[in-house]
Amino acid sequence: MNFTLSTLIQQIINGLSLGSVYALIAVGYSLVYSILLFSNFAHGGFLVVGGYACYFLLTQWGFNTAVSMAGALAASGLTAVLTERLAYKPIRERTSITLYLLIASMGVNIVIENLFVITVGGRIRALPQSTFPTGVFELGGGVTVSASDILSLVVAAIFLVLLQLFLTRTRWGLAIRAAACDLRTAGLMGVNVTFLIGLVFFVAGLLAAVGGIFLSVRYSLYPQLGSITTKAFIAAVIGGLGSLPGAVLGSLILGLAEMLTAGFVSSQMRDLVVYSLLVLILLVRPAGFFGRTASEKI
Amino acid sequence: MENKIVLELVNVNMRFGGVLALDDVSFQVEEGSLTGIIGPNGAGKTTVFNIISGVYSPTSGSVRFCGRDITSLRAFRINRLGIARTFQNLRLFVRSSALENVMTAAQNRCRDERPAEGYFYSFLESALHMGRWGTVERKLRQTAMELLDRVGLADRADQAAGTLPYGMQRRLEIARALALGPKLLMLDEPAAGMNPEEVFALNDLITGIHRDFSLTTLVIEHHMDLIMRICPRIVCLNFGAKIAEGTKDDIQNNPEVLAAYLGGDSAEDGEAV
Amino acid sequence: MKKSLFINAGIIALSLGLALCPLGGYQEGIVILLCINCVAAMGVSILTGFTGIFTLGHAAYMALGAYTTAILTVRYGVHWFPALLAGGLIAILVAWLIGVPTLRLTGDYYAIASIGLGEAIRLILENWQSFTRGARGFPGIDPYTTRGSSVAVFAVLTILMFNLLDSRLGRELRASRDDGVAASLLGFNTPRSRMKALLLSAFYCGIAGGLLGGYMCFIQPSMFDMMKSTELTAVVVFGGLGSMTGTLLGSAAITLIMEYFRDISQYRMLIYGLLLVAIMVFRPEGLLGNREIWDFLPRFAKGRRS
Repeated sequence: MNFTLSTLIQQIINGLSLGSVYALIAVGYSLVYSILLFSNFAHGGFLVVGGYACYFLLTQWGFNTAVSMAGALAASGLTAVLTERLAYKPIRERTSITLYLLIASMGVNIVIENLFVITVGGRIRALPQSTFPTGVFELGGGVTVSASDILSLVVAAIFLVLLQLFLTRTRWGLAIRAAACDLRTAGLMGVNVTFLIGLVFFVAGLLAAVGGIFLSVRYSLYPQLGSITTKAFIAAVIGGLGSLPGAVLGSLILGLAEMLTAGFVSSQMRDLVVYSLLVLILLVRPAGFFGRTASEKI
Repeated sequence: MENKIVLELVNVNMRFGGVLALDDVSFQVEEGSLTGIIGPNGAGKTTVFNIISGVYSPTSGSVRFCGRDITSLRAFRINRLGIARTFQNLRLFVRSSALENVMTAAQNRCRDERPAEGYFYSFLESALHMGRWGTVERKLRQTAMELLDRVGLADRADQAAGTLPYGMQRRLEIARALALGPKLLMLDEPAAGMNPEEVFALNDLITGIHRDFSLTTLVIEHHMDLIMRICPRIVCLNFGAKIAEGTKDDIQNNPEVLAAYLGGDSAEDGEAV
Repeated sequence: MKKSLFINAGIIALSLGLALCPLGGYQEGIVILLCINCVAAMGVSILTGFTGIFTLGHAAYMALGAYTTAILTVRYGVHWFPALLAGGLIAILVAWLIGVPTLRLTGDYYAIASIGLGEAIRLILENWQSFTRGARGFPGIDPYTTRGSSVAVFAVLTILMFNLLDSRLGRELRASRDDGVAASLLGFNTPRSRMKALLLSAFYCGIAGGLLGGYMCFIQPSMFDMMKSTELTAVVVFGGLGSMTGTLLGSAAITLIMEYFRDISQYRMLIYGLLLVAIMVFRPEGLLGNREIWDFLPRFAKGRRS
């Protein structure tokens, strides 16, 4: 196998793995958007909470990986619900202007980030080596796959399938999909909207935590880790805001584009490529791949 | 005497997905006429306005205004040629004052697609508040006040448009459209949501404006009686197709019109596009 | 007409006060910072507050202004004033290039795209080592931003901004913000209106960036990151969307609050975040809502009628 081809395969694998992590984050963000129609910038904060919760459960309290992950998911989910109750709900009840929610969510993100800076410090941490399998598999021709790449791909797939099952097979999943069409009508039809929104935030937080843990494994853990969610937002926008399949598709495209650029052009160019890709796609499809464009009655 | 044709629709079709909203509609509007467009809910009346004013381009067919093909022009260009309209679902700038609403339109007053004399000043004059800025702003304000007075809203000039009673908002929209100094005025259900006295006053207003400004006017209504009273000439639509056209008497005695109305008289409010 | 004179006189009086009152070195620095932040905030305000286009990438235009001015003055020995104007013009040029494709986007799509483009500009500045010295930053800028020069620029730009808002342009932007469909049916070329607002706002931010370079004497791409963009927009929302005096008040308030907490810099960002949330929860319409400060004076409310 020649060098170019092996790099190509290698970077496709890496790209899919990175894309799957983006997908976890983007889907949560898009889920919230589909219900409340605003960009929740606190999503990055939820991710950081998940990462740190996992880290401390592993290192300080010595729990095993499964328990720590479960704890991290719960912590992140609860943070999300709490954020919704304390910050967003009062705003939602006062006004329908989603811009205010967006600004508040940026505030929450800054608060979470800086709470960690103050309490645990800004230094970069790594999850303990023993947490996740670290082996590297040789696929021949110089193509390697790390166990953590496979794990993140598999776990992301599992969570996305679970989410899909939840949304299509359960009563509350149905209610969420109804609310995504029209929140007010869903409320009039007897859906407990407050509970439903809380549930959506819990699920979004949960997914963010999974993403956060894998990002801490892939890179490392620090309070500003949440800024990576910008990429996931871009992925969701490329896919079409509020569309979950769109978010997954956008994430995979983004992950692949990033890794292929890193492999064939230069690592420094990868973000630039991501942003150009965003603009190019929006040029052709101003509402992303699967976004709804509201047509107005005149 | 043969009057000049101002507006002409030729075989206009409009398709939204699988729905044929307008089916081969053609009609002409003479200069200085007051024409009514009637039809039951969903007949495609507002779609006709949307196509004339450039909100949509028709699927096929053409629209001519003053001898010029305007079918594919963008809305603001069509407006600058001298077509102004109001909206069935009011579209005022609700947070701005009534006066500002009218001034906003007056500043776009055009003559032959160019800014009308005395209603325009440049960016530099805006930034420095020099040159024509002062005189033009005074002129805009004066024009706007005169129009507000014409529609009976002079004492409400400083009130935010969104806080005006419904009937006044409808009249404010008329004043705003007039401020553009149009050659053709299109009123989309100006009487919707008004009580009988208000409708009566509105009749006077519309006929008065038509007379005083000698303005070609097109009015949409689905209340037959109202339009019968003010419009000498009427076009009747049903299910997107023109089923009749003519004078008040022609329409009243047309069996198809009667059938359309007797069949569709149950729902009076709110019409889907 | 009389109102316009009063406003201009008020701005000049305020500026003279800022320029002439006796201050220590530290307070002078605060006045300079106030002027810079207000100019940038006015730029974002005309786009977000008056045209309804929500941006999260305007720090990039500050960066463009800052780098253009710095490179022209340091490398080519250009006098700072034409260099500053060039910075504003470069920001306009880039805004135009960006605006053509992206201004078609609406709502959160534009907001996310503006983050992307803002970050892209920052990354280009960071990676264009030979020209910008990259992430290490660009040192040795002349301290041309004095209290006098910054207040003068602030005064001129503020007067121009208020004049523009009280003219056909102001009505045009508000119309396309409040109802784009109605605006286009009243003869406004709304895509062009949006472009006008973007170009103006880029110019103001570019000038603010150029002034910032002359004040800090050192610039670095990381000074103009998404955090800074967010701050610009947050200040505008805090002041009240659609209120230029609110923007100035909001900008001044946030600048002073952040200066006050400088000693406990650890908690500064935390307080800032809490402040954002608290404002949105307790007073989402901002300090002044969509009204200007003189709308609260009964005399002018009546005077507008004549």
